[in-house]
Amino acid sequence: MTDLDAAFRKASAEQQVENRSFRIGGHQVLLRFAGSGAIPSIVPAFAHLQAEPFAEPELVVDIWDSATTGAAPPVRPDVDAEEPIGAFYFFEEPPARGVFQPGMQALSTLDHSTDRAWYWVADPCALPYWERAAPIRQILHWWMASRGHQQVHGGAIGTPDGGVLLAGRSGSGKSTCSLVSLLSELRYAGDDYAMVSIEPRPWVHSLFSSGKVEPENLWRVPHLAPTLWNADQLATEKAVVFVDQHFPDRPIDGFPLRAIVLPKITGGTRTRTVPTSGAVALAALAPSTVFQLHTAGNEALRYLARLVREVPAYVLELGQDVSEIPDVILALLDELRPAGP
Amino acid sequence: MRYRVNSPRVINETIDGEAIMINLTTGSYYSLDRVGGDVWSLLEASLPVDDIVAELGRRYEATEDDIRRGVEDLLHRLSGEKLVVPCDDAEPVRPVPPGSAIAERAPFRVPKLEKFTDMQDLILLDPVHEVDSRGWPHLPNGHAGGK
Repeated sequence: MTDLDAAFRKASAEQQVENRSFRIGGHQVLLRFAGSGAIPSIVPAFAHLQAEPFAEPELVVDIWDSATTGAAPPVRPDVDAEEPIGAFYFFEEPPARGVFQPGMQALSTLDHSTDRAWYWVADPCALPYWERAAPIRQILHWWMASRGHQQVHGGAIGTPDGGVLLAGRSGSGKSTCSLVSLLSELRYAGDDYAMVSIEPRPWVHSLFSSGKVEPENLWRVPHLAPTLWNADQLATEKAVVFVDQHFPDRPIDGFPLRAIVLPKITGGTRTRTVPTSGAVALAALAPSTVFQLHTAGNEALRYLARLVREVPAYVLELGQDVSEIPDVILALLDELRPAGP
Repeated sequence: MRYRVNSPRVINETIDGEAIMINLTTGSYYSLDRVGGDVWSLLEASLPVDDIVAELGRRYEATEDDIRRGVEDLLHRLSGEKLVVPCDDAEPVRPVPPGSAIAERAPFRVPKLEKFTDMQDLILLDPVHEVDSRGWPHLPNGHAGGK
């Protein structure tokens, strides 16, 4: 049996502990690494949220790996050897929660009572592209929920005055809308995962500065071609870009949420927004959020239902020319801008 | 005959009278239009089928036979999808929620249930197993597993 604190201490005994501070959803988060081996696999996705060191961080996540530190793996639950790479084993016994992902040999654990979390991975260099694009997602989902936030499966673009949450199943056009907007005055808060809060007013918080595109859709966003992190792996992986590294003035940590927008490929000639019902928005946002997060359930659904009651929803009918998207979103934001004082 | 929502396997919310249901086990999710949303909210109250038909008769313009047929067809589909299950007589009946057609009786339309299966692949690719905390590492304060 392993004590997670002892395991982290042992892993860091012969390594320097590297601290990285981030302000995520307005909260002070400290990632403590045993050595530097896991840093390149975790930190780039959060680079846009990096902050000066905090005197008393609200959440501390200890991160270590066995490949670069030589530390023995912690105890993990028994699993079926035939499981797919995405398999999840989780337990929830308040105040503790844990997830083990045997396919990538990663263990996430959170203790709500002390605001401490631990993330162990066997080999950070072997983490799949989707995990590097959105690392320690479960820990952030659990902890941020306890602070009134809800992680969502959706993209987010906007301006400091307000923006939209892009919702819909994978392949609906969320990433295209988000990433094509890098060439406009719209700022980037994510293409696949973001975080929302309702009080004191609806708000979108950025989690990751990464973006992912199906290789067959890269022609729609040619400006990304020289920026791809995994250009030599596109036969088997989605193309990944770390936006902060190549478009440093585009990421934003969040903005007021003005609308939920559901991209839809229509084959029409022009791009336009059409109002839709809250029920349609909830059906686009909630199931994919619940299933993508794996450990979300009724609470997430209730939260998202509250959210769609608070903000209007639109279908974004995508025309053939994707360069129209930013202007259409900006026009919608202009229309929804609250009247001045 | 009474039914109840098949929770915790099924989670649901109603927005503007329309219901969204998610079956966490199969990955399927569903929507119900306003008439269906009214039926769903009455099922959430665990009303007997006869009372559901009577309540819809107060809300919608149609013969009792038409309403009964629409309700029973919907219940058949909801049961088939395991969204609702027969309910024990001991289950308390909750207060009847207000309907979506309050101002005046609206024409009754056959409730429309739509099913979406695009999340099922995710369930197959990323199977989720909720387990107890045995075999997990200890947390420093002794809260977690390793029992």
